[in-house]
Amino acid sequence: MPLPPLDIEKIKKEVIDSQLWRSVFRGGVWKDTPRDRAGHIIGNVWLHLHPVKVRPRALKWAYTWGMGGISFALYLLLTLTGVALMFYYRPTIGLAYQDIKDLEFAVTLGMFLRNAHRWAAQAMVVAVIAHMVRVFLTGAYKKPREFNWGIGVLLLTLTLFLSFTGYLLPWDQLAIWAVTVGTNMAGATPVLGNEGPLGSLVGMRINNDVRFTLLGGTMVGENTLLRFYVMHCVAVPLVVGILLILHFWRIRKDSFSAAPYEANEEKVDVWPHLVKREYIGAAGTTLFIMIWSILQNAPLEAIANPNVTTNPSKAPWYFVGLQELLVYFDPWIAGVVMPGLIIVGLIAIPYIDTNPKGIGSYAWKERPFANTLFMLGVVMWFALIYIGYALRGPNYAWYWPWESWFMVKPAPPPTWSVFGPKPDGAYSMLLGIPLMGAITAAWMLLPKLIQKELDGKKTMGAFLGLVALVGAGGMAMGKMGATEVAFLLFFLGASFYYGFVLPQRHIRTLDWPRYSVTMVLVISTMSVLLKMCARLTFNIKYVLTIPSISMNF
Amino acid sequence: MSYRKAFIVSNALMLGAFIWAFVKDFRAEWRPYQAKYYQMAGDALDKQAAAEKDAKKAADLRVEAKKMRRSPMEIKQIIAGDLGRFDRCVTCHVGMDEYTNPSLKNDFTENPYKSHPKVDSALVKAHSFTKFGCTSCHSGQGLATQVDPAHGWVKHWEKPMLKGVTIQGSCVKCHDNFETLKGAEVAAQGKKLFNKHGCQGCHAINGWGGVVSVELGDIADKPFERIAGYNFKKVRIDGKELPDQHHNSHWNIQNWIRAHLVNDPADVTPNDPFAHYNTEPIPPSGMPDFTKEITREEADAIVAYLSGQTKEERIPHRFHVSAPPAKEPALSGAAHGKYVYTKYGCQGCHGIDAKEGRRRFNAAGDGQKEYDEKMPEAEQLAQMNLGAEPTLPKLVGTYTHDELIHKIEAGVPATDAKKWSPKGPMPMVYMPAWKGKISKKELSDLATWLQSLAVKDDSGF
Repeated sequence: MPLPPLDIEKIKKEVIDSQLWRSVFRGGVWKDTPRDRAGHIIGNVWLHLHPVKVRPRALKWAYTWGMGGISFALYLLLTLTGVALMFYYRPTIGLAYQDIKDLEFAVTLGMFLRNAHRWAAQAMVVAVIAHMVRVFLTGAYKKPREFNWGIGVLLLTLTLFLSFTGYLLPWDQLAIWAVTVGTNMAGATPVLGNEGPLGSLVGMRINNDVRFTLLGGTMVGENTLLRFYVMHCVAVPLVVGILLILHFWRIRKDSFSAAPYEANEEKVDVWPHLVKREYIGAAGTTLFIMIWSILQNAPLEAIANPNVTTNPSKAPWYFVGLQELLVYFDPWIAGVVMPGLIIVGLIAIPYIDTNPKGIGSYAWKERPFANTLFMLGVVMWFALIYIGYALRGPNYAWYWPWESWFMVKPAPPPTWSVFGPKPDGAYSMLLGIPLMGAITAAWMLLPKLIQKELDGKKTMGAFLGLVALVGAGGMAMGKMGATEVAFLLFFLGASFYYGFVLPQRHIRTLDWPRYSVTMVLVISTMSVLLKMCARLTFNIKYVLTIPSISMNF
Repeated sequence: MSYRKAFIVSNALMLGAFIWAFVKDFRAEWRPYQAKYYQMAGDALDKQAAAEKDAKKAADLRVEAKKMRRSPMEIKQIIAGDLGRFDRCVTCHVGMDEYTNPSLKNDFTENPYKSHPKVDSALVKAHSFTKFGCTSCHSGQGLATQVDPAHGWVKHWEKPMLKGVTIQGSCVKCHDNFETLKGAEVAAQGKKLFNKHGCQGCHAINGWGGVVSVELGDIADKPFERIAGYNFKKVRIDGKELPDQHHNSHWNIQNWIRAHLVNDPADVTPNDPFAHYNTEPIPPSGMPDFTKEITREEADAIVAYLSGQTKEERIPHRFHVSAPPAKEPALSGAAHGKYVYTKYGCQGCHGIDAKEGRRRFNAAGDGQKEYDEKMPEAEQLAQMNLGAEPTLPKLVGTYTHDELIHKIEAGVPATDAKKWSPKGPMPMVYMPAWKGKISKKELSDLATWLQSLAVKDDSGF
């Protein structure tokens, strides 16, 4: 008996019309009408985080860099690999290291999983920072998106914290000492840390301060591992998840781009135009992480030993910039005040930037001050990371990339403090405190008080001439070499340009509150350059030290 | 490229990458070794079957051979829980796995297929593999399943596999009676040499010995982080530099100890006697140069003995074999004094049989030029190296018997040293106070023996 001819269209219709199919997928046969496309977004709980239509510029890779989506893709990838790793990992100091070894040597795809988790975490830190830079440069944080920018800054902080808490879990020498470096800075928190300014006055000891709370002990140990494990796997991801929903919801409500509308601008369907781009971005990221994980193994050093300090001990790479600051500043500034100012300053940016221009495009000319200062901060952050990560060797001495670490370096020259108790009994901080206060106040006020815009080239020329004159004098007296004069010209010149000439030209018209906050942030950034200059040129340890309350500047 | 194409390509590539990862994981280093072992063991059984005359037995052997060839590929491990070890060595060294090879014997000659040598010896019988694992004696990384990591020839694994006679150090970990133990002869010789050359005068082991330098009771645990890389670079074994710093088969604690015996330690650890890198001068290693007294083989014996000095490995008490303390020889007078001199390691500084005092860096003494600031550093260094501990026969003649006893009891504090170069470092080694450590009778006999050596000069004293 011949079989009846196969009617594919009929079978398709019957399958789609069956109760089973209809219960899972709603809507009829796909006809690619606007209604179908909208239905796809509205009818799917995950895709529903998108609007139905989006402005065409949100689709351009050159505009968005796709970094927000890639960050989220990495977050999902990290959740996936992280959950898989949790099946094999026990957070106790007797088992953790052994479990990592098992992943490496005995678990099927264990090494691949661990590599993927490790590298995706590093990539996510980079992607989130790139996302922030993109949003800043296109002015996308401005009204009404101020709050969402703030959430973004918190998400960046939490990304770093997630990565940092994960760093401890392998329980090897790399982990324990990186976390020791990182958490020791917490002990220098003003008031709340036992080594911080004013800490001892309010009764902070090594066993009751904020560092103790973080570690669950006075040193990195069993409790720390458990705390970091719980924070890494449960507490922080939960908070990140909540903030992510908020972040996405706000984007959806405020629409994808902040650019002013052009005439006849028509929105396009999210399905498929945006969704397909998101998929390609996520797939490309996954592929990149997979290949990286196949080719390169995650590091694992000897088992953690609190009695054997590695030399040098370095924080995780994204915090090495702050660690490098420790060369120039006390821990309470490098480890607490500076990162605090960075976070608070970033959140404050949308509220102090009143410039209505330069939204929705990379308009350097329309936002010269904001873009210059922000990018200066980003470049400094990564330059310090490069120095700390690549150029610091044993005893944290400076090693050029071509120099062997088996070379012995002389100890740095002895340092001195300008104002503070002196061996001869002089109590010069009584002079130093008002003098420092006066200089800072003058710096704060002058750019705004000089009403007329100064000629940038002439002012810079005059300033550099003055510095060169001082340098020449120093060289003539034999107190300075050519290197010192070069340092002086570079650091003082940069601080003067970014800290005085630019604010004088661009922000003196701001109202007083916004102007003051901006100047505090600018001066803090410049203080890094100036302190580096003071150390490299004059071996100055502190400009002002008040040992009785552990307050050193 | 259209997004449709990109969609298909990216999915295909992701699938490809996943398969690549899986294949890489599947082609683990241990697999070919284990597969070849099953093959070889199957062939051996077939050969046995061919030689077998009884047809039934031959058939059984053939079945067994077939089963052997079809054995599942798996990671095998010995769990020696009491010693905290999970040793996967038998994953490749299948011939040493009691489950695959119950007799623990085979005819293969090549590693990793061959069986453990001397499985019938009392030594192996007393240390069953299932109870002791592999790394308790051999060291290495038991958890690893790849060649280099498993043998510990990788960075960050600080207990690489012990080679040759060095393995006898592992006997010392549990056997207090190793000096009379069969199989631990080299380690026993190492201990003898250690005491003969006076190492114990400065280095205590488990509390027995001097306090001038570091205690060596846990020297096998010394972290590499505590050995400066630039010092490791200066080590010469058999006149050659150690290859590849990342390969712990050479940069390991054994070679670090050996380096102190077959090199002049001051060359290995020259430090900073002229304060080029530090604010204060730091003298080179204070350890004497033993290159003329100790041969390479003797050095290896001492290395084997010290390789067993570990505190890191927690070995349950029931694994320990205790021994009665060594008997003191029945001697008296000067002969006993000579014995006492050696027992407490005085020769570590004053030389074997008190013949000649050893180097004491930057100490002022005979035969040195007058210190001159303008002298080139190389010459200054040579002069500082001429500083020496007293050569006792030249000295003891000026003491009465009681004065000499008092001198030994009181010692000479490090701070009393006279420096040759006032800008140079303090001499490292010093005479510790022996009061309470050497008994009265021993001291008296020691003084008697020393004074019997005294050089008599022409002045009539």
